Amino acid sequence: MAGSTTKTVYDIFLSMENGPASTSSTVNAQAWLDHHSRSLGLFINGKFVQPAGRQSRSLADSKGGVVCNTACAEDEDISQCATSAVNGYKSWSSLTCFQRAKVLLRLVSALGLHGQCLTELCGLCENPCSPSSLVRLLQYYSCWAQLRDTFISDWTPIGVVAVVTSDNCSLYSLMLKVLPALAMGNSVIVIPGQSSGPPALLLAQLFMGAGLPVGALNVLTGSDVMLGAKVAQNPNIGYMTYSGDKQDGVMLCTASAGMGVPVSLSPSIGSTCPFIIFESADIDSAVEEVIETAFKKKKEIHWVLCVQESVSDSVVARLKLRLAGMKCVTLHSEAERLLVDAAVQQAQQQGAMLIQSCAAPPSGAQYPPTVLCGSAPSSPCVVNPGPGPLLPLMTFRTNSEAVAMGNHSPHGFAASIWTEDLTLALETAKSLSVGFVWVNSNSVYDPCLPVSGHKDSGTCTDGGREGLYQFLRPSISCPPLPRSLSISMNYSNFGTEVPAPVIPDASDPSNAPPTYLQFVAGKACKSVSGTNFPLQAPGCDTVLAFCPDGGRKDVRNAVEAAIKVQPGWAKKSQSARAQSLYSLAKGLEAKRQAIAASVTTQTGTSPDEADKEVEMSIVRLNIWGAYCDKVQGGSLPMPQSGSALSIPEALGVVGVVLPDKNPLLSMVTLLGAAIATGNAVIMVPSQKYPLPALTFIQVIQSSDLPAGLVNVITGSRDQLTVALATHSVIKAIWYWGSAEGCQYLQHTCTSPLKTLRLFRQKDEDGKDGGIDWSQSHPSLLEELWRNAVQWKSVWIPTA
Amino acid sequence: MSARNPGTNLDLERISKVIVNTQAILKRAQGIQGQKVPKKQWQTAWLLKAVTCIDLTTLAGDDTPSNVHRLCLKAIQPVRYDLLKKMDLHDKGITTAAVCVYPSRVADAIKSLKGANSNLPVASVATGFPAGQTPLEIRLQEVRTAVSHGATEIDIVINRMLALTGQWEAMYNEIRQFREACGDAHMKTILAIGELGTFTTVYKASLVAMMAGSDFIKTSTGKEAVNATYPIAIVMVRAIRDYYLWTGQKVGFKPAGGIRTAQESLVWLNLIKQELGNDWLCPHLFRLGASSLLADIERQIYHHVTGQYAAYHELPMA
Repeated sequence: MAGSTTKTVYDIFLSMENGPASTSSTVNAQAWLDHHSRSLGLFINGKFVQPAGRQSRSLADSKGGVVCNTACAEDEDISQCATSAVNGYKSWSSLTCFQRAKVLLRLVSALGLHGQCLTELCGLCENPCSPSSLVRLLQYYSCWAQLRDTFISDWTPIGVVAVVTSDNCSLYSLMLKVLPALAMGNSVIVIPGQSSGPPALLLAQLFMGAGLPVGALNVLTGSDVMLGAKVAQNPNIGYMTYSGDKQDGVMLCTASAGMGVPVSLSPSIGSTCPFIIFESADIDSAVEEVIETAFKKKKEIHWVLCVQESVSDSVVARLKLRLAGMKCVTLHSEAERLLVDAAVQQAQQQGAMLIQSCAAPPSGAQYPPTVLCGSAPSSPCVVNPGPGPLLPLMTFRTNSEAVAMGNHSPHGFAASIWTEDLTLALETAKSLSVGFVWVNSNSVYDPCLPVSGHKDSGTCTDGGREGLYQFLRPSISCPPLPRSLSISMNYSNFGTEVPAPVIPDASDPSNAPPTYLQFVAGKACKSVSGTNFPLQAPGCDTVLAFCPDGGRKDVRNAVEAAIKVQPGWAKKSQSARAQSLYSLAKGLEAKRQAIAASVTTQTGTSPDEADKEVEMSIVRLNIWGAYCDKVQGGSLPMPQSGSALSIPEALGVVGVVLPDKNPLLSMVTLLGAAIATGNAVIMVPSQKYPLPALTFIQVIQSSDLPAGLVNVITGSRDQLTVALATHSVIKAIWYWGSAEGCQYLQHTCTSPLKTLRLFRQKDEDGKDGGIDWSQSHPSLLEELWRNAVQWKSVWIPTA
Repeated sequence: MSARNPGTNLDLERISKVIVNTQAILKRAQGIQGQKVPKKQWQTAWLLKAVTCIDLTTLAGDDTPSNVHRLCLKAIQPVRYDLLKKMDLHDKGITTAAVCVYPSRVADAIKSLKGANSNLPVASVATGFPAGQTPLEIRLQEVRTAVSHGATEIDIVINRMLALTGQWEAMYNEIRQFREACGDAHMKTILAIGELGTFTTVYKASLVAMMAGSDFIKTSTGKEAVNATYPIAIVMVRAIRDYYLWTGQKVGFKPAGGIRTAQESLVWLNLIKQELGNDWLCPHLFRLGASSLLADIERQIYHHVTGQYAAYHELPMA
């Protein structure tokens, strides 16, 4: 500010420089903070509480000034909070839909009055959030609160939901989780990251004023994201969902593994996203958008600029002009500056050409916006993007190469594509494996857009009607996982138990039990190891059959085959997929006697019962066939003018560890859900009752399903679970098994993230997470197919 | 004025490749309007810059020597002397960029300015302003007349029929002839964007006008339904940028019509600064065609100097 007073009008007249950034008033927020003596408590039971003797954590702004202190919740506070949330759930869920909607709308009015205070507070916490975006969220979700029972009948709220965010997560992302949870009738415990803590507390207070029942929204602050894991320990928590960066998300997953709480992540912060400029683009507008989004101080997305070779000169020339005169971006620390310098130096050593707005100052926490031209997918700045206003620029030759380049990343959060060619735009949008596609636009967020982070960018869907289901369960089901304490287990030993070897004995060879084959890549085959395990008849010691003892390599081969055919299968027309399922049902009908016999032999049920199970399985396959063209996206009601599309997409390759109960029917139900929606599956039949699945291989063989789409591998459940968990291609695992298995998967499937559906079955009575397979209630089937798809939203601004 | 744009051959391939995304342009325009404008002395300095870029204009059927005379004297002293003196700017030659009148009033304007010892340029509209629907020969003659009366800047209007039907070659040739008729006088080409339909046509017409040797491209006559809007301006300045990257020639930009407030003039300057850079923030490359704008700017400057809002009658009328 030093020079600002000495600059005369004439100086400025000549230089035409911009004035200093005006600092906006923070009177309201400061007064609110002062009212709380700059030390914010926890928000429990509808009021601020300030338990004595808690540690506090101070929130400092980038200039080092302390904004306020927040309390660090301890176990006592957590249990008090959970009790409050349970009571809050009771009163909140017993209200009518209309009453809940009304509360959300009343908060809109409250924001009209106190929006300024909230904006200022967000500004102080350096977590900017516009009240209008919150108003949009509230209005959108108040509609869903009103219409829940009309449109989503037969589903009930989960109960108490914990929403956790990382320190750098925006208030908007936090509320994108909190509001749908509330709208569906859950009570919510918010565990906000540091910068969203004070605004979340203020919002909670405003919510009370809007008539939210006490306890329906509690806020616990702590020292880091591990508070989330502590909260998950409380037996009253039904579901935990997280938004923020990947690192904290993984910590949360591993720390809460085995507690019996499903955890899902939306780790959008820090993902690498392609910004693709085709030669058919309005290049000026595309460059302008790059300038606006790529060099922000708060860098949530690492953009990688991909430019078609034929227009790269044109793009570079415009970038140079536009960058000229841009100010340096303030880094968070001097240490960050060293990282930035190192990254730039490394890029230069690899021949990258720099475009900078000005020369970098010799030192200090400032750096000019910089484009690294001539980067490649293997460049460190693309593989491991760091902090600072750096933008790698790569070139591509053809449209398909652009897609390949855009997809060749562990992340799948978003992409921005620029072209005036409608066909190219839609084809590219469909081919990119990301949640958001912005055509000729960028970073357009709205709650009506359903988005699942693809690949490593998420395990749940946020936004839209689709995003509501993470906060609901079918009314006739019960929670999948019983609450438990995590056990201390050695994760590296899990699934390494060696089965007893099969040795020749003296029994009559003519009477020897049959040897079954498993099914990999469209072929019935032995396991790679060549060994079998003896299958005991239920309740006695006699060996019923020998089954292949599959392992890691069998899973590997199956995945290789599956990934080859899955994209083609997903692209097939829905009716073609339906025909294949009908043919599968027909094949089952043709072999019904053999299959029924296998059920009887295996489980010891009566032939009548077995026949009934086969009959139900035939019906189930037909139902899934009919569902094929009913799983569909649509156009979405965006507030801006343009076209928004939602597209359901297959997850890819799904690993299924099948339950013991109804071994045929459960397998057919899960198989149908997976392939009807375009996935490939690798199924591990129940270790206890594998014969129906192994007999079913004949049915698959006689169908017209592409070879490799469905694979069946038998063997040790734990060993195969490990093999599924450690294969990166597999995007989802549906698991019925032991508590250890559930804990192992929650702990292990974090890098890359896998979508987990875990059901604990107790070995003795074969209970499997409560699903009654003979039920074909619509909500149960809906839950299954919703678990088998991920959502993409495409936004095209038009008049 | 600096070096003139010699123009190029008509490059139809370049013109056919033009792509403009309407929504992205609209969003950008909204963004520019949403940005904070400078405050305090920065605002005053920017406003004075705007003053020096104004083509102070009167284009009415009832123009007579007397109101043209008043306009000229206001152009020489656009801001009250005592106000400038307080900021130490009284001797910095702050005048508007030019006065702009009909061809028949050029001689009057020259007379008034000469009488006041000023060599402020006189600009004249020509070529069948505003419709451009007169025979080519007459339009050319109008240019020559204005130049012979002493106008050193000529604002020509393009033939919209040619642009709307995509007859770029014919339009190019017409503008080339105007340019010839202008002689040494600088040529500003009015695209009358309100009547061009799409942004893409505006972009293409801008390129053709520059290829044909325009020194400025200008949005509108002020007589169409749609005048200088920010989205249109973004399209035109991007065409200027494109032409600059291609030929190295800097062509000027003149929004005209409907610009009335000081606030708007700040947005215009900011738009130019961002899209084209500081080089364009001078009367050689940027003009604001306006008549009532000056009064509002002068009031803002009055407020900066005195801390008080002026009544209109406190500041000299034009």
